[in-house]
Amino acid sequence: MYIFATFDHSTYLELALAAMEENGIHREKILAVPINRRNPKKRLFDTIHSSDGVSLLDSGMALATAFSVIGASYGFVLKWGPIIWGLVGAVAGASIGILGSLILYWRKHSKEKRIGKKATEVIIIIDCQPEQRAMVEDTLWDYLAYGVGKLDT
Amino acid sequence: MKKITSNARRDRAYLSTLGTTQIYLRSPHIVAWWSAAFPGFGHILMSKYIRGLSLFLWEVVINMNAKLNSAMVYSFTGRFEAAKDVLNTRWILLYIPVYLFAIWDSHRTTVDLNKLYLLADHENANIANFKIQTLEINYLDKREPLVAVMWSLLMPGLGQLYIHRVISAFFVLVWWVVLTYFSHFLQALQLIVLGDFHQATVIMDPQWLMFMPSVYGFAAYDTYVNTVANNKLYKNEQRGFLRRTYQNSNFLLPQGKK
Repeated sequence: MYIFATFDHSTYLELALAAMEENGIHREKILAVPINRRNPKKRLFDTIHSSDGVSLLDSGMALATAFSVIGASYGFVLKWGPIIWGLVGAVAGASIGILGSLILYWRKHSKEKRIGKKATEVIIIIDCQPEQRAMVEDTLWDYLAYGVGKLDT
Repeated sequence: MKKITSNARRDRAYLSTLGTTQIYLRSPHIVAWWSAAFPGFGHILMSKYIRGLSLFLWEVVINMNAKLNSAMVYSFTGRFEAAKDVLNTRWILLYIPVYLFAIWDSHRTTVDLNKLYLLADHENANIANFKIQTLEINYLDKREPLVAVMWSLLMPGLGQLYIHRVISAFFVLVWWVVLTYFSHFLQALQLIVLGDFHQATVIMDPQWLMFMPSVYGFAAYDTYVNTVANNKLYKNEQRGFLRRTYQNSNFLLPQGKK
């Protein structure tokens, strides 16, 4: 019979595979297929690939730093002083940047692309004897499989 | 099965006990921006530490001697005569060429590394994922980007420690202490808590204080992007491992029984 499971990429996945091997499932009887997520084509320069989702923070951090320097400078002549005005600048800059990027992000990325974020990452198929079923399923659940299914043959 | 020791023409990543160095697609504009905020930061983001740290030290030495930060504060607040007076003409003109070079060079390097990344990604060489030596252990793993940022905001440098970027962690921690001490930042913070805004302003040294927002923002940003990048590298390595190990040609695909 066959047991199917879906996983996230994690060290638990490798622990699960190792545990099953120790319990007598031969390595050749395990099939692992990493799943590609729905991804736009890799392009050079200013894409979300500059590291997943980071572009949300990119302009936020940049603006926070810029506004903070200017705010702190003005702070030396304003009543509350440079620390508070520096912080006000940082928060204002970050908010403008992150909000702006968020709006752009939601506009640019259709629902389709957002679904890609939730996709499972690895499919595991184990070819085992019916009496091994309980052990295999327990191992998979113990090591945080998303889901487990079986196929009798 | 390919050998794990790399004979690759181009590697995407290198694991050492001091940290994980890798190339991935980055926006050249953002890297250039960090160089403009503080020369050296753009290079440190890319793990080009020797260039980055040299440019950082250069910035601190020239800026301190030329009194550029003080002049910036005066200029932003409209006290232009004071700005002219405070600038040290023995030093200030040294500043401009290297400042522009740092921005230009980090932009150029990012574009180059992006191209090399595409080739390295295509080559898809195996990546070592675990390094154990006398003084440290480093391994690829998934870490939480927001946890990294939280530690960095509590104390710049701790975010880098969390993701095992030992060189930038050490660098940021040491410099944050230096800047905090000489700017009298924490004394001012205490005075603000007590409500004495005037004394808090007077006690601070703008020449040192103005370095701080960039360092604080940079530490958080560096830790965030590199946590995300390390996570992607981890996944990538595991995919390679699964494909090499658990895709035996003798595996019989299941047939339904109906």
